[in-house]
Amino acid sequence: MNSNRSRIIRLPLARWFAIEFSAIVILSLLWSLESRLAGYSAFVGGLIFIVPNAYFAHRMFRFQGAQSARLMVGTMFRAESTKIALTAVFFAAVFILMEPVHVPALLFTFAVMVVMSGVLRFFIRPQPRR
Amino acid sequence: MEMVFIAAAIIIGLGALATGIGFGLLGGKLLESTARQPEMANQLQTKTFIMAGLLDAVPMIGVGIAMYLIFVVAG
Repeated sequence: MNSNRSRIIRLPLARWFAIEFSAIVILSLLWSLESRLAGYSAFVGGLIFIVPNAYFAHRMFRFQGAQSARLMVGTMFRAESTKIALTAVFFAAVFILMEPVHVPALLFTFAVMVVMSGVLRFFIRPQPRR
Repeated sequence: MEMVFIAAAIIIGLGALATGIGFGLLGGKLLESTARQPEMANQLQTKTFIMAGLLDAVPMIGVGIAMYLIFVVAG
């Protein structure tokens, strides 16, 4: 029982990204019914969410085990602040560099991905490493 | 026009403050629980990861709206 609890775990990142990327593609296709610009903006909005989140998930599980608990917490704080900074930079870059941008599609897809990621974390749990 | 920048600053500032408090509590509880039951460390880390995702959902949307205010509405 205890050996199962303390086993090293890994995050199924590939499956996670496959689901989130599929959701982005579906939302982009739905927005592209309105216009091509809206579909493109929705896709960019989803990417703005996925890239910082992938960095956070990667950094969060870098240290494991009770002996490295302090490192775990410190890495979590740094990864979270970097994630928010990356999100702000990506949004700023999109609003500056992408001249015609469909803002409702961009923000709606981003918000949907944020909510979906919270729900997805309950279903895709980290697996024990074989 | 200055009101837009003040609004964006309030959105980002309050979001960062709330996230900081939340992550401080979350990290403190993780350390405390890991010290209490070291064999549960990996499960606690997973639960912390889930809660971290829920914790930063609203500030992330706030950052997006604040960037929109700064670079589109005011710009």
